[in-house]
Amino acid sequence: MTPPSTPAPNAASAPPLLDLTRLTRRYGSLTAVDDVGLRLPPGARHAVIGPNGAGKTTLLNLIAGTDRPDHGTIALDGADITRTATARRSRLGIARSFQQPSVISELSVLDNVVLAGWPHHPKRRGAWRRPSRHRLHAESARGHLETVGLADLAHRPASTLSHGQRRMLDLAAALAGNPRLLLLDEPAAGLTDGDIGRLLGILGGLPDSVAIILVEHHVEVVADFATDVTVLAAGRVLVTAPTREALAHPDVRDAYHDPGTTARSGSSDRPTPEATEATEARG
Amino acid sequence: MDLLDAHLVPAVDGVAFGLLLFVVAAGLSLAFGTAGVLNLSHGMLYAIGAYTGAALSDGTWGGLALGLAAGTAAACAAGAGLSAATAPLARRGHLAQALLTFGLALVGGDLLIQLFGADELPVRVPEALDSSVRLLGHRYPAYRLCFIVMAVLLAAFGTWVLTRTRMGAAVRAAADDPQMLATTGHSPRAVHTGVLAAAGALAGAAGVLGAPIIGPGPGTSENVLMLSLVVVVLGGLRSLWATLAAAVAVGEVQTLGVSLVPDLAPYLLFAAMAAVLVLRSRFAEPAAAHGPEGPPPDPVARLRRHLAARLRRRPGAAVAATAGDSAGSSALLRASSRREGAGYPSISLPFSLPRPRGAARRAAPLLVLLAVLAALPWVLDAYTLSLAGSALALGLLAVSVTVLTGYAGLPTLGQTAPFAVGAYATANLAQAGWTMGPVQIALSALAAALFSALTGPAVIRARGTTVLMITLAVGELTGAVVNRLKSVTGGADGLVGFPATQALWGGEGMFEESELYTFALVVAAVAVAVTLLVLRSPAGKLLTGTRGAEARMRASGHPVGRYLLVAHICAGALAGVGGSLMVTVQQYLSPADVGFEIAAFALLAAVIGGTTSVIGALMGAGLIVVTRDWVAGSWPGHGPLLLGVLFVAAVYLLPRGLAGLRGGSARSGPEPGLPRPGEQHPPAPDPTPAGPAGKVSP
Repeated sequence: MTPPSTPAPNAASAPPLLDLTRLTRRYGSLTAVDDVGLRLPPGARHAVIGPNGAGKTTLLNLIAGTDRPDHGTIALDGADITRTATARRSRLGIARSFQQPSVISELSVLDNVVLAGWPHHPKRRGAWRRPSRHRLHAESARGHLETVGLADLAHRPASTLSHGQRRMLDLAAALAGNPRLLLLDEPAAGLTDGDIGRLLGILGGLPDSVAIILVEHHVEVVADFATDVTVLAAGRVLVTAPTREALAHPDVRDAYHDPGTTARSGSSDRPTPEATEATEARG
Repeated sequence: MDLLDAHLVPAVDGVAFGLLLFVVAAGLSLAFGTAGVLNLSHGMLYAIGAYTGAALSDGTWGGLALGLAAGTAAACAAGAGLSAATAPLARRGHLAQALLTFGLALVGGDLLIQLFGADELPVRVPEALDSSVRLLGHRYPAYRLCFIVMAVLLAAFGTWVLTRTRMGAAVRAAADDPQMLATTGHSPRAVHTGVLAAAGALAGAAGVLGAPIIGPGPGTSENVLMLSLVVVVLGGLRSLWATLAAAVAVGEVQTLGVSLVPDLAPYLLFAAMAAVLVLRSRFAEPAAAHGPEGPPPDPVARLRRHLAARLRRRPGAAVAATAGDSAGSSALLRASSRREGAGYPSISLPFSLPRPRGAARRAAPLLVLLAVLAALPWVLDAYTLSLAGSALALGLLAVSVTVLTGYAGLPTLGQTAPFAVGAYATANLAQAGWTMGPVQIALSALAAALFSALTGPAVIRARGTTVLMITLAVGELTGAVVNRLKSVTGGADGLVGFPATQALWGGEGMFEESELYTFALVVAAVAVAVTLLVLRSPAGKLLTGTRGAEARMRASGHPVGRYLLVAHICAGALAGVGGSLMVTVQQYLSPADVGFEIAAFALLAAVIGGTTSVIGALMGAGLIVVTRDWVAGSWPGHGPLLLGVLFVAAVYLLPRGLAGLRGGSARSGPEPGLPRPGEQHPPAPDPTPAGPAGKVSP
């Protein structure tokens, strides 16, 4: 794992790596993310949980730049990035995985990671016409594939991968950006128990300087991985607290039990944006 | 007041014209927005109505009523036929359907000419209406006023059906989520047929009633199709009201604009359209432009959802569907082209490591093709050889379409625009005395690249079928400019009689067909070689990645928009080279050489080739030229019919294009594992377990 391209600021004295203030995103009459604030120091291990439709993926999309807030600001290292384009945010050090693993099925596994690491590689200039540069890229990409355990499949077309392998490739693509802030959207969804164990191993092996926000439904994964947890319900922050405390919070149990706050509770004919996105991604 | 007085008649004419366009465009929008068929034969449906109405019109009310009934029924039946023809292609995406409908339009147009003759048919309106009324001191044809009333009634009836009836609810639900509709007991197939039949009926009724305004003739189909496409693009599928406003605006531009500013009128439409497209892309929601997850949702799906949401919000409109999987059909185009490329030992795949032997094997078909082409001057007579030269020019255009459609994922019907820019640049250079071939080629490519840089921003924001429509509009309006800008283009007469091109400095001008052909072959070979080198370099992978997983590319820090713009500019330059070659080979240039048909041919050539295969595109172009000029030579007057049949046959018989034929046995191999549109997500794992409650306790 190569260190991040820019030095991580000192956790104690520096401003927070990520600072969300009063973030709000509405879809029509539905408020998917409502007045959310969050501060993350460099190297944080933060989980976001909540029932379906709580706004977790929308929150990640807002941070990654795929979606823009109606109100509120997002600051990275004290600099406002609320209106910064996705690609630029990626080059500033925000990487993400997707809820539905996003791979380029026509290209080989290795090429997927090469492309993902390209804009972040120190020798990126002219790589499109110089084979030597391209080989350098391939070497670093191979390192990321080894991290996620796909090195043996490097030359297979990505279209032949299983669901779990696609997840790992998506993760490798996110890691290829040498991020300072890594956003993981339900990385354990659809994985077998063995794969989840390996995922936890990979996450545990990431450098301490990388801050991670994990959106996850598997409570074991959250309990194992995160030091702090934010619980969202209906777009609002229910509680932000150290993991054990947050999971034991009475409101949290209510939020999970109360059928009124779950999105796909049956015949509602107006799906939540999150549910819509999930189905879109399938389409 | 004088101004108002002088322009009252054209203004009212504009309303009538606009309402006519609205009724036609509503059918087009219905077929596209809810059945997902970009119906390029919609103009033909109008023509069916118009011809029927004109043939039955005898100056009585009975004749009009009979014509209305017969014309509507005929167009309705044609629409149902279209539904049957396009239904098997539903999985293959919008592009295949659009090409099929274009082929059917060519066939249908030819049949209409066989039936009714090649002249414009006279239309007799009922005698009671064949007079003029006083309108604020002006004489105005009574029929047009009556038409305005009838069009309003028709529009109101259509809106009522769509928004207030159970049938309309089913239609809107089908647009949103066909599977959900199926679970409620309606057959999506029946709705699909019904929608296309209704769209046909609308076009047919508009044709009968509008025949006195846009009369039936050989050019009617294309004229009506273009104007209604412009209306749909401007109106944006969002709401019927927006479509109505756009239709009236286009009508006013066509009538009031001509009377107010006769010199500028031809460009007004273009300017309005460009303004709307640019503004819309500037203010597009970022979420929409970027796509939240996985394969980016194409704007069509977004618009459809938007349309559905908008309609659903209206009081009293109960819809049984939820917004959801409608992105499925929209991903078709993308996914189908993805399937074509993946896993085949075809020459078109960029591989991760350059392997010399593999490279030689992949280059072999191209070298064989080059050898065959180089041998042609010794085999063919002069006329056929000049056809081969035109085929090379058209082949470059097809390759440029392939770059955009197959690699950048922007299916285009507008590459004739840079093609035209290159062609007219060369013709004008030659007239100005610049006869050096390489200079002509370079300057033409530059001009076309500049043009593409200007039009690019409007094209690259959109995806899928919306790109087809936008590029179609760009190409068509460029054609309109070509027709009007007589000082540069010679207008409809074209340009002829300019000095011959020299292959090199100090050489003689080329007159012999074999010289011209050799020059064209050398230029085309160099252009194709450069294109292939770029596509096979890592740059080609950037494009492949952008097409395959745009959200991933953005999230990894790639400036996707910049890549697409560069691809658009390079493809434009390539088309410009093709245009320049065409002028050099043909020694003349007419607007038909850069018209809509050529754009459709180029797209068909790319599709015949398999959309990601450069050699396939070249061979497709050759096939089209052989069909159009060589086979049709033995059956004169039926070129369009033959080409239409070629379109239809190519769409049905070559789902993967010529490149697919090479795949042979490999075809059944990797495909099942690949995601299909609508079911891309592996069904087994449910990422959102319903009851995490039990797991909460630590």
